[in-house]
Amino acid sequence: MSAARDIRMQVENLRVVLADSGDEILKGVSLELEAGKIFALVGESGSGKSVTSMAAMRLLPDALEITEGAVHVGEQDLFSLSESQMQTVRGRRVAMIFQNAMTALNPVQTVGKQVAETLKLHTTLRGDALRQRVVQLFDEVGIPDPAQRFTFFPHQLSGGQQQRVMIAMALACEPEILIADEPTTALDVTIQEQVLELIRELTRSRKLAVLLITHDMGVVRNTADEVAVMYRGEIIERADVETFFHNPKQAYSQRLIDALPDLTHFQSAAVEEALLQLDDVKVHFPVRKGVLQRVVDVTRAVDGVSLKIGRGETYALVGESGSGKSTLGRAILNLEPVAGGTVRFNGELIQQLGRKEMLPYRKQIQVIFQNPFSSMNPRMTVGEIIAEGMVSLGLGLSPQQRQARIGELLTRVQLGPEFATRYPHEFSGGQLQRIAVARALAVNPDLIICDEPTSALDVSIRAEVLDLLRELQQEFGVSYLFITHDLSIIPSIAHHVGVMQYGKIVEQGSAQQILTRPQHPYTQALLNSVPRIDP
Amino acid sequence: MKPVLLWSDALIFLLVVVLVIFFYRLRRDPQTRERWGDVFSSRLGMVTFTVIMTYVGIALADSVHFRKALENPEGLQTEEVFYDNKVTSLLDVMLRGMGERFERTYSAPFALNSFEKENMKDANGNAVRDFPPLMHAGQHLTDPSGQFGDIVSKSLQALLWGLLISALLLAPQWLLLRHSQYPWHASWVVQVGVICFFTWLVMISEYYHVLGTDQGGADVAYQSIKGVRTGVLLGTLSTLIMLPIAVTLGVSAGYFKGWVDDVVQYLYTTLSSIPGILLIAASVLLFQVYIDLNPDFFSIGMEKADARFIALCFILGVTSWSSLCRLIRAETLKISQLGYVQAAHAFGVSHVRILSRHILPNVVHIILITFVLDFSSLILAEAVLSYIGVGIDPSMGSWGNMINGARSELSREPVIWWTLSGALFFMFVLVLAANLFSDLVRDAFDPRTASRRSEA
Amino acid sequence: MLAYIIRRLIYAIPILVGVNLLTFTLFFVVNSPDDMAASQLGDKYVTPEAIQAWKVKNGYDKPLFINSESEGLQSVTDTIFFNKSLRLFAFDFGRSESGRDITTDVSTRMWPSLAVALPSFVIGIWVNICVALMVVMFHATRLDRWAVFLFVSLMSISYLFYIIGGQYLVAKTWKLVPVSGFHSEGDVWRFLILPVLVGVIAGIGSGARWYRTLFLEEANQDYVRTARAKGASEMKILFGHILPNAMIPILTGVVVLIPSLFMGSLLIESFFGIPGLGSYMLDAIKSQDFAIVRSMVFIGSILYIFGLILTDISYTWADPRVRLN
Repeated sequence: MSAARDIRMQVENLRVVLADSGDEILKGVSLELEAGKIFALVGESGSGKSVTSMAAMRLLPDALEITEGAVHVGEQDLFSLSESQMQTVRGRRVAMIFQNAMTALNPVQTVGKQVAETLKLHTTLRGDALRQRVVQLFDEVGIPDPAQRFTFFPHQLSGGQQQRVMIAMALACEPEILIADEPTTALDVTIQEQVLELIRELTRSRKLAVLLITHDMGVVRNTADEVAVMYRGEIIERADVETFFHNPKQAYSQRLIDALPDLTHFQSAAVEEALLQLDDVKVHFPVRKGVLQRVVDVTRAVDGVSLKIGRGETYALVGESGSGKSTLGRAILNLEPVAGGTVRFNGELIQQLGRKEMLPYRKQIQVIFQNPFSSMNPRMTVGEIIAEGMVSLGLGLSPQQRQARIGELLTRVQLGPEFATRYPHEFSGGQLQRIAVARALAVNPDLIICDEPTSALDVSIRAEVLDLLRELQQEFGVSYLFITHDLSIIPSIAHHVGVMQYGKIVEQGSAQQILTRPQHPYTQALLNSVPRIDP
Repeated sequence: MKPVLLWSDALIFLLVVVLVIFFYRLRRDPQTRERWGDVFSSRLGMVTFTVIMTYVGIALADSVHFRKALENPEGLQTEEVFYDNKVTSLLDVMLRGMGERFERTYSAPFALNSFEKENMKDANGNAVRDFPPLMHAGQHLTDPSGQFGDIVSKSLQALLWGLLISALLLAPQWLLLRHSQYPWHASWVVQVGVICFFTWLVMISEYYHVLGTDQGGADVAYQSIKGVRTGVLLGTLSTLIMLPIAVTLGVSAGYFKGWVDDVVQYLYTTLSSIPGILLIAASVLLFQVYIDLNPDFFSIGMEKADARFIALCFILGVTSWSSLCRLIRAETLKISQLGYVQAAHAFGVSHVRILSRHILPNVVHIILITFVLDFSSLILAEAVLSYIGVGIDPSMGSWGNMINGARSELSREPVIWWTLSGALFFMFVLVLAANLFSDLVRDAFDPRTASRRSEA
Repeated sequence: MLAYIIRRLIYAIPILVGVNLLTFTLFFVVNSPDDMAASQLGDKYVTPEAIQAWKVKNGYDKPLFINSESEGLQSVTDTIFFNKSLRLFAFDFGRSESGRDITTDVSTRMWPSLAVALPSFVIGIWVNICVALMVVMFHATRLDRWAVFLFVSLMSISYLFYIIGGQYLVAKTWKLVPVSGFHSEGDVWRFLILPVLVGVIAGIGSGARWYRTLFLEEANQDYVRTARAKGASEMKILFGHILPNAMIPILTGVVVLIPSLFMGSLLIESFFGIPGLGSYMLDAIKSQDFAIVRSMVFIGSILYIFGLILTDISYTWADPRVRLN
């Protein structure tokens, strides 16, 4: 196989430093892209994988500087080209697609024009021929009604279609090389799978050399031919995909692989009495129209949800963005008014309680949010943050006792009492999320609502937080309502699963039952897009 | 000596105390400290801050007022002490009588003779029409042709004094701060410059009018310096009056939403729909009518002018809160959605506590940015308002009044340029320093620019 | 869209009522008609009879809000508030304290104001955008830093200096155009050049600096990276992508001012002797003619509210994401 390798792009010993401080961001990265193959560059945030691609295309921001290395596309040495020659390489020979298509597309230009711009820059196509070519490209990447979509603005398209427009734009001039930087990260799982399928197909049909940058091992598993793992600016391991997944050399690679779901082991379901019981809960947002802004309709964010969470049990609420799962969490916390149905906690009705009447329940129901960076006041110390609930809910502790408790909690979440005087910005995302756990535990709750607590974290850290949550459950018998879009973390934490779509629960049951024998087509679709390692 | 405490004096010292406490408290927070560190680690930050502090220092020295005791008239033996009707400030003392050397009318910088011809008698008693010699310039010269040499030698002498004073003042700073991570040397250079300049000005003013005199014969350099207090006070007091209104309304609108928000939005839309200058003009005129109809409230003329000045600060403050209020409302709306406020709700934290612990500390940067930004625009606005006739009382020194008075001077032949230049120069230096400093503060504190820097 | 505009117009009513109440309070409650008469008549002639006569002549001899002596509807209409404030809603401005018809004055004086303000506004924006674009092209170089310093310095100069300096240099020293004055036919442009020039130059500092920030903010957006990856040149990116997007914030700041151009500029008009609404207001302030000030406040707020509605409409045109409802 080595003899016939058709190398399209070669990156050699690329070094990049921070211009101000001289800190090395890339420490000599080399890789080759082969025609018709997908090369996956895997790493967590800050590992330097995006910098590699931007440096290769000479698109680094001013603060970063290339000190060494060479990039060849075919015979061309990119680093010896003038800027205007470089512009003929970008988009024509090497095309790029980016993570968040919504922001990566110009919001005030029609998508048709944006794709046409690439063609105008590099070809002589003009007028009707240009338009037809764009429509044809739209058709090729699977955009419905391509002629009509030409005049649409990005915001009028769905996330998946936006990413397809990006791909059409990238492929417009028939490039040899495609650099895809986290192309599916911002998409819902079902859409994610479709976009990856499109990239795979185009790679084969057009003999593209693809550099796929991602943090998601599932994407790598399902898509790539060759894998390189990046860690702190270096490629620490490189192998073809089969070898890599069955026989990783580095411990770090093993950790990344372990983050893939194991759909063979489940938490055994053990429901006793119901701690939280929802019956036909509805949350509505008014829609106003007309001169007088009368309420003409409501958006049914949560539309009749019933579920039951037992003591010491984890209930995972799964759904894609906009399914109403977070709204439901907020409604249980009484942060959102409930339009109908009943919320019972320990058998008592708690919806529509006033601020004062709700206070005793605030001790028992706590919450952990998705974004650890915004869920802590940057101007308070960690100690103050943890103490806040104890103070306002009147746990009756003396200041000394409180300090001792804070120290205890911090130790319990593997940080240590000395961290109490520090401020949130001194911590990493994973550490902050552990502090959030400590804050929730401080008032000894019976139920913690975890709203996507791991989705902002890197995969290797994700596992640590999940392990911590599970341990705490065994220790304190606390229940979790675990809101997530990520099916792959369910086996390791949940006893019961509910799948939510358009404000309704379409299917619920034990974790094992849902993940192995899904009944509803939507659940099946979700499950199909979850990557797994076949034993 | 009898101290006089004007309302504006009391307010300015109160303001200093408040600011000191405010910044002291801010120091506790490491992020704020870090951002101030960003501001002061640039040389430009140090330089502009030193310049601003010089102006503030002058303003403070000019806010310590007293009335001099008069010597008993001859032949009158009484225990009672009479006080001068004129109010003097600490600054006047430091300037060593610069403001008391009046001429009859205009004179050019460093001139020995008046600008306008007068009828007078020559040595032989004949009536001639010529430029009369000035009363307080060049009296010590025997021969007018030696003036240039005299100025140079006096300047060198003053410069030596200036360097000596600088050395005395800078030595302790150097001992304390020489190992500091901040570029204090930039500040020291400016300090030396400022000290030498003022020593020179004060010393040479005893012999000449450095910037000439105006129509009433008053020393222009002195008047320009007296304008500092007015400018600095107006820039800080107005903002200070506006802050509580804007913050209270903005935070409550953004936090409580609903009808509170509607009311606040209605208030600021209404207020901002009125042309600002008309509202200010009308209010000032109305207040002037009030002062005129109630002359008994003010014992000396300066108090009347002071009352009008404070009224102007109030009016500027009350009419200008809408834009800050809008900013704070938007920021509060944003913060209320953030996880930490939601978490506080989930902990049952009371509204008062959420507002004081979570919302307020996180909008402080907006308040700070507005404070430094508004400072310079208010100083510029004062000049315009005084020109229109609704600004500072004409008896109170201000740059706007100087410019207003000098309006027709440029059309004279030969041109009288010094009054205008004096006022504009002193104003320009302060406004420029404030603008540059506010740019740095905004870069450091505005999350948008801050995040852009950290990405890069 | 139509429903939206109608709603905004309805919202305008309480705001205008508020404006009226506020000015009314200022002019008649804080400062009673007696005080006004006293200051208009001058100290020498103040006698109770003279004050009463002045009040009758100018229509201030009625109660403020409720006339208890009249019957029915008259008790509301025969008051100062109704006659002096509410009539403004019908664009009935009445007469100034010196007896001139305000409506006539306003309708003749707004054209000279517009003749100065509109060119200053349009040319000013155009120049500022051009200067800012040029600076942005040299972003992060020494040139950029010095340009910003220059902008800040220009901003720090008093507006009065620009006017005085412009008059001194262009009109007096170089004798290119008349120092001041205005007449409505023939070579009117000779009187307009200098005020427009001064208006434009005085605005460059703050304007160009603001636009530069807007452009740089857009230059950091993701779609600019996409355009670079397409192989577009920096010029194409600047004009094809950054400029159209930056137009959105530019419009918010700028469109709201357009109706208010009728009001003219107080300073420019008084220095250059242009008989517009700006100098009209200034004269009214100086002669303490509250009838004119009140009318101008009302006109000013209507124009401002109109500007707000215009801003929202211009949004839908510049930003396809915005739909009014």
